[in-house]
Amino acid sequence: MSGKTVLGPAASDAPGAEISPIPLLDAIQDEGRPWQELAPRYGVANPDPPWKVSLYAIFECLSAGGALPSLERRHIEDRLGETIYGRTPDPERQLLALADTLLRRGILSEEDLARRMDAVRGRLEDS
Amino acid sequence: MAQTHDHGDHSHPAAPMVEEISEFEILEIAVRELAIEKGLFTAEDHRKFTEWAEQIGPAGGSRLVAKAWTDPAFKARVLSDGVAACREIGIDWAEPTGQGTPSDYMELRVLEDTPTLHHVIVCTLCSCYPRPLLGHSPYWYRSPNYRRRLVRWPRQVLTEFGLVLPPEVEIRVEDSNQKCRFMVLPMRPAGTESWSEEQLAEIVTRDCVIGVALPRPDRKSDDVRPVHKASRPVGGEHHEPGGSP
Repeated sequence: MSGKTVLGPAASDAPGAEISPIPLLDAIQDEGRPWQELAPRYGVANPDPPWKVSLYAIFECLSAGGALPSLERRHIEDRLGETIYGRTPDPERQLLALADTLLRRGILSEEDLARRMDAVRGRLEDS
Repeated sequence: MAQTHDHGDHSHPAAPMVEEISEFEILEIAVRELAIEKGLFTAEDHRKFTEWAEQIGPAGGSRLVAKAWTDPAFKARVLSDGVAACREIGIDWAEPTGQGTPSDYMELRVLEDTPTLHHVIVCTLCSCYPRPLLGHSPYWYRSPNYRRRLVRWPRQVLTEFGLVLPPEVEIRVEDSNQKCRFMVLPMRPAGTESWSEEQLAEIVTRDCVIGVALPRPDRKSDDVRPVHKASRPVGGEHHEPGGSP
């Protein structure tokens, strides 16, 4: 395993700390279409989006490398899932919680993530 | 839109696909790429865990129970060392790293139901689950609602799953933790005496080995969803004020 970076806690991780939504993720929560909404529209029976397995592999990789232990991640998911990302179902909510953690702990910046999302979107729409 | 999918010598209608890219799909790719670039893990690590995660599912648990029902010696081994018994049916808890995954500790205890004792599993702390054997946990298993309430009001929560147990049956809730995973060995239902192991495995659904349902000879995991006609349709003429909600 290559992971050497350990994600230190953010100030907002303290129990009872006020959590305000991150604008980029809040917009995705509002505008993004979760799988449970998309799948029936296209007559797809698979209960999970195709990217779910990849997200779960990210969780395993982060835990295996020591960057973000699974138990800590689950506590974050619970806390954020009952507060700022409560409007979104799983696994989209788990993804938002992960992105939130990486942003809040300074591993990624909102600008970097927004720029990369634009690049990915361009790539997918091109193909 | 009816499309066909051509295999050269034959063709069939293509499985429907979601013809739309969601923001969540884009977010997952972006987060993964940036995490790899920042050195949090490698693409090879990610591929390895994805490959593993895609081949796990609840079928292992079904096979384990069916074999335990038909082979008393195997059942004894299941109850004494769950991880070793899993190897006998081709499930290796050490995959994919040689030491298991970071989320799946290599300790499995199988809980045997009796006519007077029913087990049900939970993880009050987070969502520990015997994944090598059962695949990923269902959404409700991870929900705070299930985790908090099952330990306090097990009988009531089981009733919400449609499982009503007689009062003389004791319900034991086993709380998974970081060091140990659990699975329920339900009782073999009557009416299955002459069945093969394969037939038995079909009726051991995921919910039966979590403990929120009991195996029944007339219910298989791949059955179509049961639909019951409403006895009192909403807006029907027979609605009585004060009836149950």
